[in-house]
Amino acid sequence: MKKFSFISIILVLMLILAVGCTAEQPAPQEPGNNEEQAETPDVSEAKNEFKPQILFNGSSTLAPVMASISTNFIEGFVTWDKVDASFPEENIAIYVSAGGSGQGVKSVIDKTSDFGMVARTVKDSEKEQLPELKEFTVGIDALTIGVNPNNPVLSAKDDLTKDEIVKIFSGEYKTWKDLDSSLPDKEIIVVTRDIGGGAHEVFQSKIMGDVDVKADAIQAPSMGALVTKIIENEYAIGYASFGVVNQNAGKVSTIKVDGVEATKENIINGSYIIQRPLIAIINGELTAPQQAFMDYVMSAEGMEVIESMGFVPVK
Amino acid sequence: MKDHRENIFRIIITIGAMLSSVLVLLVFFYILKESIPFFKEAKFSDYILGDSWSPLSSKQSYSFLPMILATLYISFLAIIIATPLSVGCSLLLSFNAHKKHTRIILSFIDMIAGIPSVIFGFLGLVILVKFLEKNLNMVTGESVLAGGILLSVMLFPYIVTGCTETFIKGKKIYYAASQSLGVSKWYTMRKIMLPFAANSIFVNMLLAFGRAIGETMAVMMVAGNSPIFPKLLGRAETIPSLIALEMGTATYKSIHYSSLYGAGLILIIIILIIQLLAYMLNKTGMRRF
Repeated sequence: MKKFSFISIILVLMLILAVGCTAEQPAPQEPGNNEEQAETPDVSEAKNEFKPQILFNGSSTLAPVMASISTNFIEGFVTWDKVDASFPEENIAIYVSAGGSGQGVKSVIDKTSDFGMVARTVKDSEKEQLPELKEFTVGIDALTIGVNPNNPVLSAKDDLTKDEIVKIFSGEYKTWKDLDSSLPDKEIIVVTRDIGGGAHEVFQSKIMGDVDVKADAIQAPSMGALVTKIIENEYAIGYASFGVVNQNAGKVSTIKVDGVEATKENIINGSYIIQRPLIAIINGELTAPQQAFMDYVMSAEGMEVIESMGFVPVK
Repeated sequence: MKDHRENIFRIIITIGAMLSSVLVLLVFFYILKESIPFFKEAKFSDYILGDSWSPLSSKQSYSFLPMILATLYISFLAIIIATPLSVGCSLLLSFNAHKKHTRIILSFIDMIAGIPSVIFGFLGLVILVKFLEKNLNMVTGESVLAGGILLSVMLFPYIVTGCTETFIKGKKIYYAASQSLGVSKWYTMRKIMLPFAANSIFVNMLLAFGRAIGETMAVMMVAGNSPIFPKLLGRAETIPSLIALEMGTATYKSIHYSSLYGAGLILIIIILIIQLLAYMLNKTGMRRF
């Protein structure tokens, strides 16, 4: 008996290992994502069948917006046949998970989600891996230079030139006094998002150019955390998302960049330079229900949600 | 009939055990596979002995050294703070407290282990970081110290539970004897229990150390995440924070992406070494008694 069970154990082991070797295992990808992947059916299969689920993954800036729009969509229609009479009577299921712009692209490439959410332009290297890429720009976000309302810099100057911002973020100006002699001799606390993230990439290309942000800047794990840090620390400065600043109106003060204030008009007409598109991407043709949902996103109701969350809608 | 049912049950649990061990291997090999492009590309001296981490700048450099040091520094600090407190606590629980109270207090301490780390991180951010800012005259409180203090609270239950168990075992063996010799309780604790439990305390410290190294969220929220060499009152970034922060946004299949798997591999290796050490020490310790 003992021998038998031992052999069966070996057999099971070999079987599992064999499966593990032949098939590209998507299972143990990243910690933290297991839950989402567990409920992810294989997107590549069943193209012709009706799929009641739509999966979104990507930018943590865009995710709350999409989640909010999809909640309205699901609550408004409940089942697909209410959206369009030709659809079967199945419950609408739209899953939105956040993990960063890069992961949004990745999840579309390896087909773990239908849509990727990207808060920057899609890079050329990524486009190569997405032959049938379709982009839907749903809104625009700007990065404002945000400081604490008690920061003495506000009384000295409410406008920073691009050059000054580069010097602050690169660490050339170590204390606020270096920026302006009337300011206190306190360290400038630079707060950034993670350096690989969509927000940082936009800031890097629009402001910093080839200069690196100083290594001892605080990296905040989310835009919310970045803004919280600014709200809590008098001497902090960071690039806060226009949307998140509007959600915290009064607690964060923004500084003009080259004399241009971050307002809706200036963002739309392009004179405020630190801005980025909010994009939903997909590889291949949209299925009918996906099209129906994207139409809803681009409709007045969807745009209203985008505006209410503080971002600039495209329409 | 009974035999048959037993067999089915045995097969089910064996499959369960096999699956879990295969899963560990799969995770390990997947991480290894994904990190190979990076280890091929980068020189050993660069990623272990270099001094800066800037995967996306114009002058790319990948060095894990600041992160490895920061991880060890913060975990070490946490252990240093947590061990005396927890050993004292378990001595009190096993010798001076009423048995009923011990059980209640222990279950509360165990509960600390069940609190999600993000909650600790949040408390650390709004209380601990603020406290350090006010009292140490720091411009910003995010620091190695904040991470160490916060982690020590999280490690507390792990060490206490392990040590209390050993102390209770030791009390059974030696307490009656030492009492009949008329030695005071405090003498027993100092001169008999501590040497008796020394090995077990050390093993528990190692296990807690392994736990500390892997802690992500709480440390990420209070350590500031700057990839520089750690100083007690300066900011630092641990390996788990590095992976958590950058993995979501690294371009798929790029060297940056692969290097993060490399960081994960290094983390796993460090933890494996610690576990192995704890296992070996535990075995020799057991043989002695």
